[in-house]
Formats: sequence, C-alpha cells, structure tokens
Amino acid sequence: MSETYSNHHQNYGPTFYSYWIGLLSWAIVLLVPISGRTDEVDFNREVRPILSKACFHCHGPDAENREADLRLDTEEGLLGEHAAIVPGKPEDSSVMARITSSDPDERMPPADSGEALSSEEVALIQRWIEAGAKWSQHWAFVPPRRPELPTTADPSWNRNPIDAFVQKQLEESSLRPSPEVDRTTLLRRLSLDLIGLPPTPSEVDAFLADQKEGAYQRQVNRLLASPHYGEHWGKLWLDAARYADSDGFEKDLPRNVWFYRDWVIHSLNADLPYDQFIIDQIAGDLLPNATQDQRVATGFLRNSMVNEEGGIDPEQFRMEAMFDRMDAVGTGILGLTVRCSQCHSHKFDPITQKAYYQMFAFLNNCNESQIAVYGPEQQQQRDDVLKAVRQKENELQQAHPDWAEQMAQWEKETLEQPQPEWVSAELEFDDTSAGGQKFILQADGSYLASGYSPIKSRPRMLVKTDLAQVTAIRYEVLPDPNLPLGGPGRSLSGTFALTEFEVVTSPANDITKQTKIDIAQATADYSQSKMPLEEAYDDNSKKDRFTGPIEMAIDRDGTTAWGINSGPGRRNQARKAVFNLAKPIELTSDTHLSIYLSHRHGGSNGNERQANGVGRFRISLTADPNATADPLPLEVRNILSVPGNERTEQQRQQVFSYWRTTVSEWQKQNQQIEELWKQHPEGTSQLVVSERTERRKTYLLERGDFLSRRDEVSAGVPDFMNALSGEGVPPRLAFAKWLVARDSPTTARAIANRVWQAYFGIGIVRTTSDLGSQGEPPSHLHLLDWLAVELMDHGWSLKHLHRQIVNSATYRQSSDVSEELASRDPDNRLLARGPRFRVRAETVRDIALHASGLINLTIGGPSVYPPSPEILYKPPISYGTKSWKYRANDDSYRRAMYTFMFRSVPYPTLETFDAPKGESACVRRSRSNTPLQALTILNEPLFMECAKALALLAVREGGEDDNQRLTFAFRQCVARLPTAAESKILLGLLQRHTKRFAQQEEVESWKLAVVDPTQTPELPAGTTPAELAAWTAVSRVLLNLDETICKE
Amino acid sequence: MNCHDSFYRTVAPTSLSRRWFLQQCGVGLGSIALGQLLGEHAAASLPHRAADPLLPKQPHFEPKAKNVIFLFMAGAPSHLELFDNKPQLTKFDGTAPPAELLEGYRAAFINPDSKLLGPRFKYAKHGKSGAELSELLPHLSEVVDDIAIVKSMVTDAFNHAPAQILMNTGSQQFGKPSLGAWSLYGLGSECRDLPGFVVFSSGKKGPSGGNSNWGSGFLPTVYQGVPFRSAGDPVLFLSNPPGVDDTLQRDSLDTLKQLNQMRLEVKGDPEIATRINSYEVAYRMQSSAPELIDLSQESQATLDMYGVEPGKPSFAKNCLLARRLVERGVRFVELFHESWDQHGNLVKDLKKNCADTDRSAAALIKDLKQRGLLDDTLVIWGGEFGRTPMVQGDGNDGRDHHPNAFTMWLAGGGIKPGITLGESDDLGFNVTQDPVNVRDLHATILHLLGFDHSRISFPFQGLDQRLTGVLPSGVVQKLLK
Repeated sequence: MSETYSNHHQNYGPTFYSYWIGLLSWAIVLLVPISGRTDEVDFNREVRPILSKACFHCHGPDAENREADLRLDTEEGLLGEHAAIVPGKPEDSSVMARITSSDPDERMPPADSGEALSSEEVALIQRWIEAGAKWSQHWAFVPPRRPELPTTADPSWNRNPIDAFVQKQLEESSLRPSPEVDRTTLLRRLSLDLIGLPPTPSEVDAFLADQKEGAYQRQVNRLLASPHYGEHWGKLWLDAARYADSDGFEKDLPRNVWFYRDWVIHSLNADLPYDQFIIDQIAGDLLPNATQDQRVATGFLRNSMVNEEGGIDPEQFRMEAMFDRMDAVGTGILGLTVRCSQCHSHKFDPITQKAYYQMFAFLNNCNESQIAVYGPEQQQQRDDVLKAVRQKENELQQAHPDWAEQMAQWEKETLEQPQPEWVSAELEFDDTSAGGQKFILQADGSYLASGYSPIKSRPRMLVKTDLAQVTAIRYEVLPDPNLPLGGPGRSLSGTFALTEFEVVTSPANDITKQTKIDIAQATADYSQSKMPLEEAYDDNSKKDRFTGPIEMAIDRDGTTAWGINSGPGRRNQARKAVFNLAKPIELTSDTHLSIYLSHRHGGSNGNERQANGVGRFRISLTADPNATADPLPLEVRNILSVPGNERTEQQRQQVFSYWRTTVSEWQKQNQQIEELWKQHPEGTSQLVVSERTERRKTYLLERGDFLSRRDEVSAGVPDFMNALSGEGVPPRLAFAKWLVARDSPTTARAIANRVWQAYFGIGIVRTTSDLGSQGEPPSHLHLLDWLAVELMDHGWSLKHLHRQIVNSATYRQSSDVSEELASRDPDNRLLARGPRFRVRAETVRDIALHASGLINLTIGGPSVYPPSPEILYKPPISYGTKSWKYRANDDSYRRAMYTFMFRSVPYPTLETFDAPKGESACVRRSRSNTPLQALTILNEPLFMECAKALALLAVREGGEDDNQRLTFAFRQCVARLPTAAESKILLGLLQRHTKRFAQQEEVESWKLAVVDPTQTPELPAGTTPAELAAWTAVSRVLLNLDETICKE
Repeated sequence: MNCHDSFYRTVAPTSLSRRWFLQQCGVGLGSIALGQLLGEHAAASLPHRAADPLLPKQPHFEPKAKNVIFLFMAGAPSHLELFDNKPQLTKFDGTAPPAELLEGYRAAFINPDSKLLGPRFKYAKHGKSGAELSELLPHLSEVVDDIAIVKSMVTDAFNHAPAQILMNTGSQQFGKPSLGAWSLYGLGSECRDLPGFVVFSSGKKGPSGGNSNWGSGFLPTVYQGVPFRSAGDPVLFLSNPPGVDDTLQRDSLDTLKQLNQMRLEVKGDPEIATRINSYEVAYRMQSSAPELIDLSQESQATLDMYGVEPGKPSFAKNCLLARRLVERGVRFVELFHESWDQHGNLVKDLKKNCADTDRSAAALIKDLKQRGLLDDTLVIWGGEFGRTPMVQGDGNDGRDHHPNAFTMWLAGGGIKPGITLGESDDLGFNVTQDPVNVRDLHATILHLLGFDHSRISFPFQGLDQRLTGVLPSGVVQKLLK
C-alpha cells in the first residue's frame, strides 16, 4: 500500500539517506546565506559533517581501526605533508580521485561500508578544495566567544541581541518575523515555560489590566521568583540526572533520593550558579566544610541503577553504574557522546578510549554511601540534642574538676588489663547458603556483604585457622561507608538482628556430618534491652519476635535475636560479641570448624528491602580460656593506643563520653544523657558518594568488559578539551571544576542549547546530547555562542538566561503558521514564528489538576502515590509485589513530578506522555501523539476526577448562566475566552446531555458528576444534578482539547 | 526510555498544507487512517520526511515473516530437562565436573565445582525428523516436524535482568530498543485499531527486566510495546468512565473534534490534525480491543486445543490471543511467562510449567498452520539462558544459571521446519557445533522480516545504532527454508 512512498524513501538504513539529504538541504537553506556569499563553502558546517559521516569511521580519531594510516579529522591529516588534499587543486587531491573513481575497488567510501556520497556532497568537497580547503577545528571544540551582533534591516523589531541573530537569518531567507502574540496567549506561554503551570484567569485579568510600562517584565519577575520555577526546570535537570525513586533491574527496590530531587528544586529557585550547581553534584562532598546539601547533591552520581538480583557479581554492576555516570556527565553536562569510548576510541570525536578511562578514574574512587539527612526542623532538633548532651558532659566535668586525673587512672588500669590474643580467621563461604549475597574480603580481614540482600539467610562459612585449639570466637560487626547509614547491618537503618550464632565441626571431607558445638556463654559490648521486632520486619508468621541482648543469639530460639539498635544518631557503630565454647575444640587436619550466621529476623517482602542481615563483620579465634567481649567500643580502644598528647579534641571527648558511663556515681547523669539521645530525630536516608581512603586503581577495560583489564590509567582529561587545573584539590573536585571551567568548549553551550530547546521545542543544535562532529550543525551558531557567553558572563545565572530568552521578540511571536511558512520551515528552525507544541508529561497532568482547582502545590518531600491501577504492581505484571501506597488524600493532587517513580513500572499516565524512566541520562524527550494518550485523558480516573471538579467549580463559581459558566471553565483550561462558535458547540453538548440526564434516574447523573455517588455535594440553587453531569461532560471535552495540553 | 535525540529527523510534523488537510480530513474522517494520507502526500512533496511513524513500510527485501510471536520463557528453562538429552550426564551424575570445563567459568549462586546432575526426565524421538524431546513436552512432540530446534544457543549474561534485556534488546545495558520496537520501526503496523506491538505476561511474576524488555529505547516512543491483559480492560483506561455511555462518548468526541478543527484552522499546526486522528483511533480501539479478547466466537475445539479455561488468565489464553492479534495484522506479540528459574524444585516446577505451557504453545503452531498463518508468522520459544549441568542445593533438585549452552525453538515465517540445529557437549555445558549467539538470533529474525541487520539502524548519540550492535553476528542460514 505504501510502495511509492517506500521506494522513494526509507527512513532506516545505514546511510540515512533521507536524513543526510535533509541535513544538506538545511545546510544550503540555512547556513550558506549566513556568509552572504553562496559560493563560499563553510568547512565546519558543510564539509566536516560529510567527512565525519562518510570517512571518520576508518580515517578518524580511532587509531586502532585507522585504515591506510590516513586521518581526515585533523588539519595535519587532511592538509599536511603527503596529505590527501592539495588546496586549490582538486585534480591533484587524492581524496577527489577516490570519491569520484568509477573503479569499485578504488572508490571511497567503499560499498561495504554502507556509506555513499551524493553528487551534491562530492561537488561541495570539490568547491571547498577549489576555494583553498580552509580547515578549522570543529566549532564545538573551540571555547565560545561573544560574537559580534549582526546588523539587521529592522532594528526596531529587536528587543535584545537574540533577535538580531534570528532576524539576520530570517532576512537571508527572505522571511519576516510573525507579529507579537496576544497578551493572554503570551502569559499562558510564559507561565507554562517558567513554572509549568497555566495562569489563573485572575492572573490573566491582572496582566490585561496592567497597561503601565513594564507589565510583561513584572510577569517575568513574578514567575521567575515563584517557587514553582524550580520544580519545572528542576524536572528538566532530573531527566538528565536520570532520577527515579527505585533501583531498577529485577528487584527494583524503592530507594530514598528525594532529598536530592528537592535539592535540585531549591538550588534552581535560589539561582545557584550553574557552575556551582555542577560542582556540588560531582564533588560537593569534597568541598571544604561540605554542608548536608552539598553531600546530598552528589546523589547525582548515585542515580545510577543498582542490580540486587541474587547471584550477581557486585563489581560487574558497580562498573555498569560507573559507565552510567560517565554517560550522565557526557550527555548531561558536556553534551558529548562520551559513552562511545567505553569500548573503543571514539570514531568521530577525538576522545580516545584511554581518555575515557582517565576521566573514569576521577569518579572511580567513591564509596556508594547512604547517609542520614535531616530537614530543617529535624536538623534543629538534632543540633539541640547534640548540644544538650555536650552541655551535660561539660557540667559533669565542671562539677568534678579532677575528672581528668580520674579518667587517666581509668585509662591506665584499662590498658594494663591483659586482652586475649585474637587471631582473625579467613573464611570460605558456602555460596548456596549465602542466599545470593557475596561476601567480599576487606584489607582488615573482615568481610563486606554485597549484592543481593536476602530477607532471611543462614550463610555457612568454613573457618580457616592455624590454631590447634579454639576456646572462644569473637564476632565483630563493623561500620562501612557502603552500608545503609554506615552499617554495620544491611537493614534500612543499617542495623541487623542475629537470630543465632551456630558453631559446628565436621570431618574435612563431609560437611553434612556435622557436630553441633555448645556455646557456654556469650558476652557483648552492647546489650540491647529486649524489644519487639519492628513492624517493618513482620514476616506474616504471626509469631512474636524480639531483639535483645547477646544471649538471644545462643538461646536456640528462632524468634529472638541479638540486636544493636541503640537508637537514632548512635546505632551505626562497631559492636562485638564473644562466644565461649562449652568445651575447647581441638582442630586437626581432619576436623573442620564452620559457623552459621542465622538471620531469621527479616520481613516478608524482598521487594521492600526488609532485610535484616549483617553488613560487615570479622571472625577471630582465641585459645584463651577466659576471653570475654572487650567492653570498650572499638573506636575508644583504638584511641587509647594514640598517645594522649596526639589525640584530637574529638577523640578526647569520645573517650570521656565512654568513660563517664563506667563511673558508677554518675548513674543519674548518664541516665539523663540517655534520655536526651531519645530525642534525636530519625532523619531520612539519601544515596550519596563519599571518597575512599585507599585509592582504587583504574584500568582501561577492553570492550568495556570489567574482567578484561588492560593498562592501568591515571586520572586525566582529553587533550583537545580545556586543560585541567586545580593543583592540590582532591581529583574528583578538580574534575568537577574542569567540567565548568570558563574555557570548557561545550558545557555552557550544552546547557544553553537545552534551555533553548525547552522553549522552542528544538535546540539550536538539534542533537542536544551530541555537540560533537556527528551532531547536527547549529541552526544559529552565533546565537548559541552568545547565549553561552551571556550565561557565563552573568555568573552562570540560569535565571538571567531565561530572562534574555523570554524578553526577546523572537519568543514573543505568535505561533500561528501560514501555509507558506509551514511548508518552508515545518520545524520552525528559522524562528519566523513562536513555538507551539504539546507540553511534557508532567505538565499535561498539572494543567488538568490546576484547571480543576484540585492541585496541591506543596513543594518537595517524599514522593507520592496518586491513584494507579493496582494490577501494575503485582505479578505477573511486576516482577515482585510493589507497594503502591495510594491513599485518598491531597497527595493525589500533587504536581506530577512528585509521583513515585518505579523504574520497572513507570506511572502509566506519565509514561504514555513520553516521560523517561531514569534508565539513562535524557536531554531530549520524545514528543509522541498517540491514541493511548487520548484514552488516558478521556478515561483515566484522576483526569476524570479533574473533569468532575472543574464542573463543580464552574457551577459554583462560574456565574449564574451557562454562558458565564462556560467562559469560566474554558478559561480555566486555555486562559483565553471562547469564540462564539466554540461556545455554541460546547453549549450544544451541555444542553443535549442536560436533557438526557434529566430524563434518567438522578443516580445516573451523580455517577458521572462525582467520584462517590453516596457523597453528593451541595449545588447552587437552581442547579440540578443533571446539569452538573452535563457540565462534567463539557469539562471532560475541555481538558481533552489539543489547545489545553499545548503551549501556543 | 522515552528519550532520544533523533526523533524529529525522521518523523517530524509534516508541512502539509492546511487547506489540503481541511479538505481531506474534515468532519467524518472515515475509515482511511489519517496517517496514511499524510504519509503518501508527504512522500510526494517532502521526500526526506515521514509523516506517520507507524505507516507500513517495505523492508530491504521480500520478507518471509510479516508478524512475530515471541514466547519468552523468562527465568530460563532447563535445556537439560526439556530438549538436550545427555546420557553422559546421567552417567556422571554425582561426580565433579572436569576441571578444564570450569576454567574462567562464573556461576551466579553455586560453587562451579558442584557435582553434576543427570537429566531428571526421560526422552524419546518424535516425528519424521526424529527430534528428541523430553517426556515433559508431549504436545510439542506432535508438531515437532513444524519447528526448528536450536540446541546451540549462547549468551553473554548470566543474571536474569541483564540476560533478558540482552535477549530482547541486544544489549545488557538498559535503554535500548526491543526487538518488537525495531520490527515496528522497520515495517510499521498493518493494524490501525490496535497497537502494533502487544505484550502479555503470565506465570509467577513479571519479567526481571521489567518494561525495558518491550521498550522503545532511543527509537520514538510510538514503537514501544503496549501491555495487554487477557481479562477486564485489555488496555489501561480503555473503558468509558462510570456515567459515560456510548452516546455521550461519541457526542463528546464529535464536539472535541469540531473544536480541535477550529483550532487547526486558526493555528495551522499539523500536530492538531494528528491529535484529531489519535482520538478517532482511540475510539475505535475502545471496541476493537474488547472484541479482541472476547473469545465467545472461538469454537470449543479451539479453546480445548489451547487449554483455555474461560475467565481464567493463563498462558494458554495469551497464546490464543496472540493468534487473534496476528490475524488482525498486529506486527509483534510477545508473551512473557516468568516461572522457569529452577534453583530448586526442578522436577515439580518443570512439570507444572510444562503443564501450563506445552499444550498451548503446540496449539498455537497447529492453529496458525491450519489457518494458513504460520507461513508468514514467526514463532520463537525460549528463555534468557540455560541451566547448569551442575546441581544446586542439597536435594539434587535444582540448577543454576548457565549462559554457555541452551535451547530455543523457532517455527513458521521462513524457518526450515523439522530440523535440529547445533549440539552441545556430552554434559550440555558448552556448544560444540553451530553456535548461535543472541546477535545471530536477532540477525536471523530481522532477516526473516526482510532486513539486512547491518543496514537497519537509527542515528543516536552520533552513531547509526543497530539491534545487533558492532560485534560479529550473522544470519543463521541453516535455519532458513
């Protein structure tokens, strides 16, 4: 049926014939006239794209795959000695000979490459050589400089420099700008653009009534100062930051990252300079005296997906996350396709594979941390607690002036007490019983649990030791920056519950012949009082389960466990227990000692992360008959080995804080301090990075395979980019500063281009993620450079950039398009009219909520669960059962950006309207127009609820008669007044269905008009339920108008 | 992933003349899909632009298959219990595998040197082809001469999510277009009242890779799979809301259309025309989708052949719906049945899984064949990897993940029937003959759809991206008719 079409044109295929022809015609239409001389060929805009497409693959930056030692991507390669081009002499240039040869063996590009040059392209190259083959570096690799403003025929049209650039190009294409748009449409456009919400009718009225000079300016100021500005533009950044509220992959567990999301919103509202905005996200934790906000900002790096599928190699997926981070930096910040060089040197841009891994090295030294974070009130509360504890301790010291001597005496005695000799043991884990988690040996002889975190498990480990006799086993649990809140456990709060510590011996050759070893007693440095297991770990067993003192780990009772929950603020620290065997074990070459760590205190649903197992631990053995757990916390014991005069103030304080608890006369004061700690807030957790103390080595990975390490590489940046500076600062911070250096060729252009894209639908460079040589040439290069420089010259203020754009005459044009203009410039690249396109997914929902008056404009906080089909969150749709915590309350009406984002089960309304789901950095969304979108606005329950609410609002507040009410509802949706024809059509619908509903039982009206027909609202006198139902139908049509979901 | 740079390169709004549009597409758009009109005219006037991304397109060469049904057995079925009989494995049951086999081998859960476990089910030869099948597959054995069994599948991943994503998108990294999306991108859709790529899910749970298994990646979002359910509303938000009857729905849509048309006259933006069309297709889908899942017109014999129990969601029902979709011209149907991850309960669970799927998968072949649909419908059966010849767990009743060798089968759509391709070694550990990696499988599927896999591409991040990527891959010629 479509043969004609297909024969003329295939929109797939290697050469992208259509695309390149399209590009070329743009080059001709748009670009040549800029120079004003149609015979001059611009290398960068016209020739380089052809070379890049057809030649660079084999004759480009990738040295490994370069053919014939010929390089066409550099000046030296093209024009140097023995080069393929002789300027001015196409007939002597071997390039010309090869691309025009009729001999298939000679002809370039070779047929099997799938590339081909059109005759126009060949002619262009010939003309370029004839004209002297002037070479220049790819435009985006030269730092932007402020361009001169072009002179234009009609300077009076120009409101600011943007317009001069735009007008110049229009002139050269013999086009005229469109007239300024009417004020109502302008305000709706501006409001949707700056805050993502339409104006209320009263805001429109106020603007229309404001006839004084600067009325528009005042609207711009109002909207830029609105706290909703940060939401709207924050969401755009969150796309690039691949933000989502879950881990992705199979388990797709929920994660806490909304502090990061809120940080983005608040930072944009505060107009945090863009360079600082980036630095905080890459290395905020490394800044001097890093604030909580700066640490939270590094959540950017942690937005990578995490695979906690059972049986994975955690290093493999750490590397996957690293690749994702590199891509986010390349796509989101640099606007370069850095990712290509993960497997091989870039084929088109001069990013070598080595340079890729050198940049990688800057980011490769992070702990994957989760820290406790506090909102402003909680922060205050926490500060109060810490201050009060400190004050109590000061009071103790003041009341007992000899405390220092006493403490010194205690310390002396403590150090004199002999400690048992502990030998840490190497462990061999039985993989099956580990339940899919992997235990990774650390430098201190401890093991770190990684990968999948089972809800319940009983890992068995073979203890390897040279000791001939064992009387006691020490079990130390240790904090680690890679564990939740620092560990030492893997529960959400970094704790664990040890149900049972079991010791067995077996013959060397048969683990199944086990002899249970009795444990006579257990001691620990922390004794948690017995308490019921937290609700989160309910396993539906209906049994009462407890955590408590260490004895619970040897009582052979599956319902009790050793717990270490010493409350918020203090629970994440090292603890230890010592298990004394009833009889010493004699170890021979034929007797194996094994330990089971039984963790039976997890919850019921692995999809909610209700694990409660240990995170990092060390097993040590002794033959000492009298070993018990050292009551001193590990950290305090370590401080004691530091000579007194070398201790920091904090260390001294730490020793005191422990020592005071041993002073029996201070029981009362100690108790008071304990009470104070109970006031410590729980806080929330946030994924961040922190820097490792021991530097991880980085290797070039062949084909990006984490098992194929090649040469070690040091941290560095590609040599064609700006130079790295920042002596003496931590490498990751130096990298962050490099990204936003004034002489970075792409960073400012990349963000300016994306901001432009948000306003006009298409960037000045259409390929927003790729400003490199395969990217599409800019439609207005000088304009892009002007915007980039303007941004940097004004302290990287994004609000300044917005102001320039929305103040331009270009922006304020009408979006009406004439037939002629539509065919000449269908995508509006020349900007002879204003933008018109469907708003993004979140705004589609927000407009409906706003128009209906339902919207809840609370900013920030945990993500919310508006109504969604339950079936999506259960097998067999979802891999596991997910909790969609919908409650019928105001949270349903929050702006769509706060909707909880499960990566594997995206919220259907948003997905249907092309919202990305955080799989990778996204700087340009699809904009589709589909039947599923129609079904969504027509029938989805929350959109329907909006229609009902809008109807009720119209009859209550819209006025007395139908005309007034219609005008009211219409303006709620599209801001403008309806035309007479539109009113007539809509009132027709209203009247037909008022009549129909009036003829039916009243309940039929209520069914349509309200969410719950048993809860009917009071109607204004004279308004019938049938009318309200018909108004609901009218409102539903209004919400579905193309205009309602478009920015005009 | 709803994200790409290149969307507008190929499917930009058209530059249709407004007058033309209003003449052609006034009230009562009629049965001719707007997109087709747009496409033909756009093709004539603007050769470098396509108007409707779902417009049917001709591939590189004459295709053998028009439609694809992929029965994705997620969780990874054991090739050793179903297809790949290994008497030697029985012989060495309980012994350690040869050390040289394990060099460089990584297993997900078990110690690689766990003991070997012989196949737990009996095998017999079937059909003219004499292909050996396990006793668990009595129904498949009836159509064994219609299918091609590939015993030499190899993959690169051995964890579920990455391996499923690899099997469906050609990459272990999320965010790449799925096979179905590529098919739709290349061929467009013949069916305008239903989505061109439909997904069902049955079994214990959803696939590990979630909806990225049917995502559009960097292709335009119109190509992504649309999940259907076999009961209730087949598509989300399909039914009119409470209180909206068909009279009101039609009247509302007519009102909407008039208003949108008025706006189109003022604004001249062809996207408004597309929106008008979207609402008309949505309206038609409101009847075509329920009609699709209404099995009342199917004979009892057909229901019995598939093993469909009315009112009960099942893989069987999804198989029958797959046939109905293909009949309606839906390009790509993918059925996920995730329940094959037998780390334990190998015997019991395989019995159950085969009871749940064997009859209906075989029925699908029979049914397509008797309706003359098998010739141009490619059916694929398989999971993301195989299972270890080594045991997992103490009960001699489980197997771990194994990427080195596993079995899939294909039928119809240009596949040579009644053959068995490839072999694994005596233990079913490594492929010894005719290895087929996932890229080869993809190249073959694209070939059957009429595409040279090295030439069907989409520009993204500066590269012409392909389903089969850059590593070596090729069409498995021996599988072709």
